[in-house]
Amino acid sequence: MGFDLAFALSSVPTILGAVGTTLCVAFVSCIGAAAIGFFFEMVRRAGGIAGLTVGFVIDFIRSTPVLAWLYFLYFVLPFYGIRLGSMTVGVMGLSLYYSGYLAEVFKAGIDAIPKGQSEAARALSLSRRHAVIYVIAPQMLRNIAAPLGNYFVSILKATPYLAVLAVPEMLGRAFDIASETYRYTEPLVVAGLIFLVLALAISNGVKRLERRLLAVGSR
Amino acid sequence: MNHEKSGQGMNTQSDCIVDIQGLNKWFGALHVLNDVDLTVASGARVVVCGPSGSGKSTLIRCINGLESYQRGTLCLAGTTLGLNARETAAARRLTGMVFQSFNLFPHLTVLSNCTLALRRVAGKSHREAQDIAMAHLEKVRIPEKAGSYPGQLSGGQQQRVAIARALCLNPRIMLFDEPTSALDPEMIKEVLDVMVALARDGMTMVCVTHEMGFAREVADQVVFMDGGRILDRAPARDFFGASGHPRSRLFLETILKH
Repeated sequence: MGFDLAFALSSVPTILGAVGTTLCVAFVSCIGAAAIGFFFEMVRRAGGIAGLTVGFVIDFIRSTPVLAWLYFLYFVLPFYGIRLGSMTVGVMGLSLYYSGYLAEVFKAGIDAIPKGQSEAARALSLSRRHAVIYVIAPQMLRNIAAPLGNYFVSILKATPYLAVLAVPEMLGRAFDIASETYRYTEPLVVAGLIFLVLALAISNGVKRLERRLLAVGSR
Repeated sequence: MNHEKSGQGMNTQSDCIVDIQGLNKWFGALHVLNDVDLTVASGARVVVCGPSGSGKSTLIRCINGLESYQRGTLCLAGTTLGLNARETAAARRLTGMVFQSFNLFPHLTVLSNCTLALRRVAGKSHREAQDIAMAHLEKVRIPEKAGSYPGQLSGGQQQRVAIARALCLNPRIMLFDEPTSALDPEMIKEVLDVMVALARDGMTMVCVTHEMGFAREVADQVVFMDGGRILDRAPARDFFGASGHPRSRLFLETILKH
């Protein structure tokens, strides 16, 4: 039961064939999670009943397993007449789940901006929207580039959960090969290595981005 | 009915930019502003001084609506702040604010710091905004730093940029909240020089400062605050003369000693 290199190599094309699906799901989920998370944080910051409610939703999301969300969206929603494709459900599930975490990241990034910045924006009569777009968000992004990148890698690594919804992503493909040939080592190692390469590429890209963001305006 | 009221008051208010009557503000149980009355005529230069915690910063922050107040009235160019959101916003636009800690936007160049509000609030074109901003940067004698970021400038340079940024929206009154308190001594003069020049140009200003030399040179009214009250107000020469309020004399002696 050694490692059969030839077999491993022969499984590469099949598994690589799913790289597109994995990257696509991860990419759309990152955007979705960031958009929802930022919206959540803005509503929470505004306070009031809506703010409190969203604060509870964020805590709720973060205290439940991502698999529960995926199963819920996939198996429970159809009972209420909402039928969605497995890919859609997968992206929705990951986006929603990670939006809770990203909202916390955005919160930390905004809290770290000195109070004088939004006061200066108000003193210049900028609207709240303009203050967020031109003053707060850019500085927040600079503060959170590193943790944001970490969560993007986490989202990538969470895509195999979608195998339970039969989304043809990489780990699912590797398992298909394994169950056909009863050889688990090679396809799983191949899938793991591809994940490793992708994750390293993302965190490297984020590091570069962070360095560029920090270079702007530094003394 | 509001029109009638403001119409009647027009003659007295046209040359009066700020009219504060019986202003009261509490931070929780702390009574930070206690029945403050203050009027600032167009072209007037008012210096507000007093020990820390006396409410002078809060007062100036109320004038441009950064802080709300609980009782009394605050009229800015004929508009009572806080009654009507749109009118309040329009009146606030007539003020320019300079902070103790500069509060320049660190991710934007000096020029972009100045053009941001021109573009987004005043609705100027890119080109127009740049021309206006450059004119004001020249006025504060720092046009060569237009492409630099705030982090690359000294404190004095940053504060001059902050003054230019506030001037860009063409305010009718400039509010300074301890503009030189965060500066090294050798940089205080370059900022004060800009402020003196501004005063000479006829700009209405309310300035919270401990720079008594500046007060003596440009102020036509000095207001002394302590414990949320205005204890003494006098033309500059009287304030620094022998006739002042005992409490302000004590304050003057303390800060002029060191």
